[in-house]
Amino acid sequence: MAPVVGIVANPVSARDIRRVVANATSLQIADRANILLRVLAALRACGVRDVLMMPENGGIRAHVERGLLRARGNGASRGEDIYPALHTVSMPVTGTVADTHRATAEMRRAGVSALVVLGGDGTHRAVAAECGTVPIAGISTGTNNAFPEHREPTITGLATGLAVTGRVPAHIAFSANKRIDVSLVNGANGATVTEMALVDVALVTERYIGARALWRTENFRELYVTFADPEVIGMSAIAGLLEPVGRDESGGLMVRLSPDGTCHKGITTLNAPIAPGMMARVGVTDWRRMPAGVAFVPEVAAGSVALDGERELSFTERDRLSLTLRDDAFRTVNVAAVMRHAGQNRLLTGTPVPVAAAF
Amino acid sequence: MAQNPFPLGKDELLKAYRTMRTIREFEERLHVDFAKGDIPGFVHLYAGEEACATGIMMHLNDNDRIASTHRGHGHCIAKGVDVHAMMAEIYGRSTGACRGKGGSMHIADLSKGMMGANGILGAGAPLICGAALAAKVRGDRGVGITFVGDGASNQGTFLESLNLAAVWNLPVVFVVENNGYAESTAMEWAVSCDSYVDRATGFGMPGVTVDGTDFFAVYEAAGEIIRRARDGGGPALLECNMVRFYGHFEGDAQTYRAKGELEAIRASRDCLTILSERVIEAGVIGRDELQAIDREVNALIEDATRAAKAAPLPVPEDLLRDVYVAY
Repeated sequence: MAPVVGIVANPVSARDIRRVVANATSLQIADRANILLRVLAALRACGVRDVLMMPENGGIRAHVERGLLRARGNGASRGEDIYPALHTVSMPVTGTVADTHRATAEMRRAGVSALVVLGGDGTHRAVAAECGTVPIAGISTGTNNAFPEHREPTITGLATGLAVTGRVPAHIAFSANKRIDVSLVNGANGATVTEMALVDVALVTERYIGARALWRTENFRELYVTFADPEVIGMSAIAGLLEPVGRDESGGLMVRLSPDGTCHKGITTLNAPIAPGMMARVGVTDWRRMPAGVAFVPEVAAGSVALDGERELSFTERDRLSLTLRDDAFRTVNVAAVMRHAGQNRLLTGTPVPVAAAF
Repeated sequence: MAQNPFPLGKDELLKAYRTMRTIREFEERLHVDFAKGDIPGFVHLYAGEEACATGIMMHLNDNDRIASTHRGHGHCIAKGVDVHAMMAEIYGRSTGACRGKGGSMHIADLSKGMMGANGILGAGAPLICGAALAAKVRGDRGVGITFVGDGASNQGTFLESLNLAAVWNLPVVFVVENNGYAESTAMEWAVSCDSYVDRATGFGMPGVTVDGTDFFAVYEAAGEIIRRARDGGGPALLECNMVRFYGHFEGDAQTYRAKGELEAIRASRDCLTILSERVIEAGVIGRDELQAIDREVNALIEDATRAAKAAPLPVPEDLLRDVYVAY
């Protein structure tokens, strides 16, 4: 059966307050559609003939369909079809994260071979919650894009196409990723809420969700990261500038931050890029490795849990919170490895033209 | 009582709840009385959208100006306009905020910085640019807020104002109250570039989208945007995604809505319920305290309605009075 690739493109990522408190990007809907057209062209070039897309009312699909129509108008005269056929998951659109959850689950059930995701860390988290063993190919169109790597989307599309058509061995094409599972037991009624983060869990003293983003460093208390990368923005950067931990290593890092964010005896002050264009001083008390499979119970008694940079849950002294890092939690397309393999094995090279013996 | 985890003190939280409840009660009363034929003209109700006006106006003082829309009662109440004067105005009585000659769509009170509801779609944006320019020239740190619906955001006046505010770096916040429908036309059928943040970006200013049914989300985002404008950081756009509980106008049969849509949003996206449940659950405010406010607000609206009905209508000699105003 020919492979089908699923696409989740979030029209509402990159819209929060970090455009005002920092200088975060505002990637326009038309640009997101343009990115998708580049991915589609690359997938088709690898032999992917069908893609299944999440429906949304934010305008991305309408722009993409217009692009497909125009291309077919041009291509018809040359007898070419440069894009796969675009199908949409049949489901109601709510304009919330529930759409991403549902679309991902539906695509997994439909048997897609990979999921191309356009969004930031939050969108990727929503997909990872439902994708099971289906690998993710991430494209950063969000605010803090620590999880999806920055790369020309055409190349992400090519790598995905080569991977799902079986031209690159699975052990090269796909890599394992970590996540942190969060469990919050309500002390009043015993109800348990489970959540997860792909990059970071930050515990902050603000006990309301509000505008969601994190930027008031004086409220930061504890930080747990799956990878500590000094090359990214946000919470992972704080950890990465203390002790880098790779995406492919087992375990992560836990960082305790100074209560008032200022410098005291025995406190390390770190100047970190916590949001795009926003350097902030944070006081660091100590840090340690976070082994996989070990439940961590935070010291912070009350506040909010921010998952991948956004406040999602609030908790009080009554509630019980624990965090556990999991290795090998879900898969992604290893774009760098696929493209290296493609080059070394001439995967995109045609049959050589015969050379005449006589010069 | 538990420690307050919110960004506002208890008194401020009670004030926010009282404002939102006053708007709701005011609009619910108009919904009933308009159907009886007691009220002249047209009314467009703000019920369901209270968190937006309240979350923004909590950051303003009387020196800050706002320019409102045809759906302006909520903006008036949140900006501090007297409820008795508003009700009398809507009833067309001479004790009204504009002496009964403006009605629902022209309530204004300059002493509160309320430059007026506005029957012309998209007309508030250029007005607020003028007010913001005045504040900038005076250097008094005043800001201007203009409200526009998703439909009126397509008016040339609104787009020209985005440009003007960006070029002159005015202390303006453009609030798009996106309730999903331009009268009866769904937003996705009518707004070309699909995202208001994209529009703001096109004019070189930041845009932010928040859940307009979450008081705290509006309050926090508006606080940062208004502070930035006050500090000389320039204009910005704030899109509040929200829901309206009644029709575009009173009498609208709302045949454009899906079956069960209204019931669903009333059940799950009522900003007053969301706010009250949060503060009660956190143990900061007791349900009895909110119920006491409900009773006081009910009595206030009852009294305002009674007083409005008993007040005299304008007389013919009033026709040419107050036509020109000297500032």
